[in-house]
Amino acid sequence: MSQPVSISCRGLTIRFPVYGVDAKSLKKSLARVAVGGRLGRHFGATDVTALQDLNLELKAGDRLGLIGHNGSGKTTLLRALSGAYEPDEGTIEVQGRIAALLDLALGVDLTATGYDNIRLRCRIAGLSAREVEARLPEIAEFTGLGPFLAMPVKTYSAGMQARLAFAAATAVDCDVLLMDEWIAVGDADFQKLAHKRLLSLVERAGILVLATHDVDLLRLYCNKVMRLEGGVSSEVVDIRKVDQLLAA
Amino acid sequence: MDSATHMLRTGQRGGLFQIQMAFRDLKNSGHRLGLAWSLAWHDIVSRYRGSILGPFWITLSMGLMVLGIGFLYANLFKIPLNEFLPFVALGIVFFGVMTGIINEGCDTFVQAKGMLSQTNLPMFTFIWRTVFRNLISLAHHLVIVIAVLTCYGYWGKAQPLPALVGLLLMVINAAWISMVAAIASARFRDIPQIVVSVMQFAIFMTPVFWTPQRFSGQNLAILHLNPFFHLLDAVRAPLLGQTVAQNTYIVLVTMAVVGWTLTFALFARTRRRIVHYL
Repeated sequence: MSQPVSISCRGLTIRFPVYGVDAKSLKKSLARVAVGGRLGRHFGATDVTALQDLNLELKAGDRLGLIGHNGSGKTTLLRALSGAYEPDEGTIEVQGRIAALLDLALGVDLTATGYDNIRLRCRIAGLSAREVEARLPEIAEFTGLGPFLAMPVKTYSAGMQARLAFAAATAVDCDVLLMDEWIAVGDADFQKLAHKRLLSLVERAGILVLATHDVDLLRLYCNKVMRLEGGVSSEVVDIRKVDQLLAA
Repeated sequence: MDSATHMLRTGQRGGLFQIQMAFRDLKNSGHRLGLAWSLAWHDIVSRYRGSILGPFWITLSMGLMVLGIGFLYANLFKIPLNEFLPFVALGIVFFGVMTGIINEGCDTFVQAKGMLSQTNLPMFTFIWRTVFRNLISLAHHLVIVIAVLTCYGYWGKAQPLPALVGLLLMVINAAWISMVAAIASARFRDIPQIVVSVMQFAIFMTPVFWTPQRFSGQNLAILHLNPFFHLLDAVRAPLLGQTVAQNTYIVLVTMAVVGWTLTFALFARTRRRIVHYL
């Protein structure tokens, strides 16, 4: 715990084996071995390099914005930082508790009640059963869904579902917050609340890494920015130079 | 908060390192058994939500099968009902657990795709989830076991302790088969069909609906080559008041050790790729 919060990536390279629909079939795979033909590196999978030789050092107080076109590797980097993707080369080292808000729908069970979904989401995020119960009232209040929480989520409107997911996903304490797009959701009232909550989360978290296409958001929340282009990263620069970075 | 406060991920550093990382995954899953249990419990609750009997529906259908097959085959084979019915009941219930763990293993990683691709949860957590889920089902089906043993007065003879050891050996073995199925199914979508067929074949080739006593000599020797026979017998025999052959324990322990070693090697090799398979 004494270690300060930090993220350190050195020479990070991530390659994706892309298994085509074909390659998923055992027969095709076996056939390929049998003919001795185009046996790829991983049973006929093609490699796509999603991130190449990326270096990144972040310390407490850094709020990094990731920009780049679709498919430039932003989400891959976030997933790697969350620990889901293993590097092929290089290292990732993260000090601190990580919370990844990449997909709000993570673990949502439509047939379960709102309460059960909050419990499940928090359990996945690493809270113990007791901690979840202790926080449940606060999360429930934040959703503003009141008696609906005892109903199955499938009866919710899309906005209500988003409220629930948002409240549950942001209920965790973390040191490193990873976000794919700023996830403020719901109607105008809720968006205000959501923004406030996210801001406090960002303040408590030592480090924020946010991938977004919205430059205004970047200016608002980030103090550093990095651009990804086809898996290759730019230097990490101060937010004031974001225009130069975008023009480059 | 029991989530990791320090995470270090590195590129490939050779086989030994992969094995270390695989062990770390196993260790971390041990710290989070509670999560695996919660997920399993949630699976059961959500699978049977809205149904009146819940998992007892499966128990009910198993019970009917036990009665039907028990009476029919006892007559066909001319075996006393009080011997044959408990035999069939235990066979169906415990073979059912084994089949459940192995067949549902195919879905383990596929189902957990969302969680695996954005968290650093250990992969083993999902294996335990599948195992726990089937143990919860078993807890329901024990009604049949208790009913039959009570009805035919087997409680005096039954040896609960060896049966428990047998169950443990069975689950340990089923778990590694389940894990192999999980990894293979994530990679190749044909595997679940193959696994289901094999397990269906196995239930007929194993003395579940028929007794091994009908065999002798050479045939019996062939039967002993069937691993499912040993897996099942280690649980069933003690409950019926019979002793388990020493041979069976040797087979099961060997199978567990060799199986887990190979499975672990496979896992160490594929661990970093599994999330990309999905």
